[in-house]
Amino acid sequence: MKKLVAILVIVGLAGAAAGWILTVPETLSKTQIADLPSGDPVNGELLFWAGGCTSCHAAPGATGDDKLLLGGGLKLETPFGDFVAPNISSDQEDGIGGWSKVDFANAMLTGTSPQGSHLYPAFPYTSYARMTLSDVADLYAFMTFLPAVSGKAAAHELGFPFNIRRGLGLWKLLNLSSEPVVSAPAAGSDADPDLWQRGRYLVEGPGHCGECHTPRDLMGGLDKSRWMSGAAAASGEGRVPGLDPESDIGSWSAADIAYYLESGFTPEYDSVGGEMVSVQENMARLPAGDREAIAAYLQALPAADTN
Amino acid sequence: MRKLVLGMALAAVTSLGVTSVIAADDPIEIRKSIMQSVGAAAGLGGGMMKGEVAYTPAAGKAVIAAMDASAHSFGSFFPAGSEAGDTTASPKIWEDAAGFEAALAKFSETTGAAMAASGKSGPADVDAFKAAMGPVFGNCKSCHEAFRVKK
Repeated sequence: MKKLVAILVIVGLAGAAAGWILTVPETLSKTQIADLPSGDPVNGELLFWAGGCTSCHAAPGATGDDKLLLGGGLKLETPFGDFVAPNISSDQEDGIGGWSKVDFANAMLTGTSPQGSHLYPAFPYTSYARMTLSDVADLYAFMTFLPAVSGKAAAHELGFPFNIRRGLGLWKLLNLSSEPVVSAPAAGSDADPDLWQRGRYLVEGPGHCGECHTPRDLMGGLDKSRWMSGAAAASGEGRVPGLDPESDIGSWSAADIAYYLESGFTPEYDSVGGEMVSVQENMARLPAGDREAIAAYLQALPAADTN
Repeated sequence: MRKLVLGMALAAVTSLGVTSVIAADDPIEIRKSIMQSVGAAAGLGGGMMKGEVAYTPAAGKAVIAAMDASAHSFGSFFPAGSEAGDTTASPKIWEDAAGFEAALAKFSETTGAAMAASGKSGPADVDAFKAAMGPVFGNCKSCHEAFRVKK
């Protein structure tokens, strides 16, 4: 009996140790850190709009230059609890003004905070992880020029077990990857390869379109077998439309998609609505070629379940 | 034969009439058909702005007048209780009635200004039309951002 207890204790401890090790927050490797360039704020601004930072981190309803005040505060009410977008302005105390470029790159690419704990994936690092080191460095360079906003945003309100950050380690093992989702344009597509690649990068990486347009599994991970096929809205009511050729915008041409992202009007002259308004206004600030690239990628999406 | 055709035509007209009488009791159907006319007008206006459809002052005025009539009537078809049903109206319309009123007021203000600018025979050229319609088009997004839910 004593032996059995001892064995159980040992097995239990080993399990706990394995769990602890599996959930260690990962950070960038030394080589990756060494490869971080100094950063070009001009390209960084493009990534700032492509990445949609302001849609969650500026005050809700902000327009014009107020979109550059990243004091946080937008509340995302999800099935896992309420996430509040934090202050990511350049404020030293309340924002991320005290973060080094490496701290920033770790958050963006590995979902790990400067203190070495897991960040919640309401911050879509699961997409940002596909960004290049050089683009992340450029974005960092741009954001250091944005105004400091004082005041911390409210804390997240999450129930058990989602309030235990350490547990996210397991979730990240399953859901965090820097690999592209779609390996090639759909069979029969005549998309220009360079344009398609740029589109894939923008959509799957900084644009993080899949975070809303792809359904999630019970644990909140994206169901990549149904990539971009539309989903129930994670926050609030309604449904986020699918973007693959089988779904809601299947009849649109590439020019229709690019025009929608530029103007906010569908081919039927319905207008963009809901949370997509802010996204569309960000996309309107990209060079026309980038909107065409996004359109080329969406047009060449394999039908859900075949990629 | 002629009588039969006439009879069928009459029957068709009558049944159409009946359908629209039923629809008249349903605010959801009415506000949807108003918004469809806004969409169709925007389609024509947008097509002319993009140069896909040749611009004429009469067509320009028809677009603006449809927008104006809609802007003034649309808000009357959101009575309490009509948030349930086959509708993409957001519950915020009723939760934030003042905000919705303000959005409607802005819509009819801009269409009124466009009407005033279009004169008797409509904006003279496509640039005048663009100048008149620009502020009207601005309402679509801001109102759909706050007060519509896609289902």
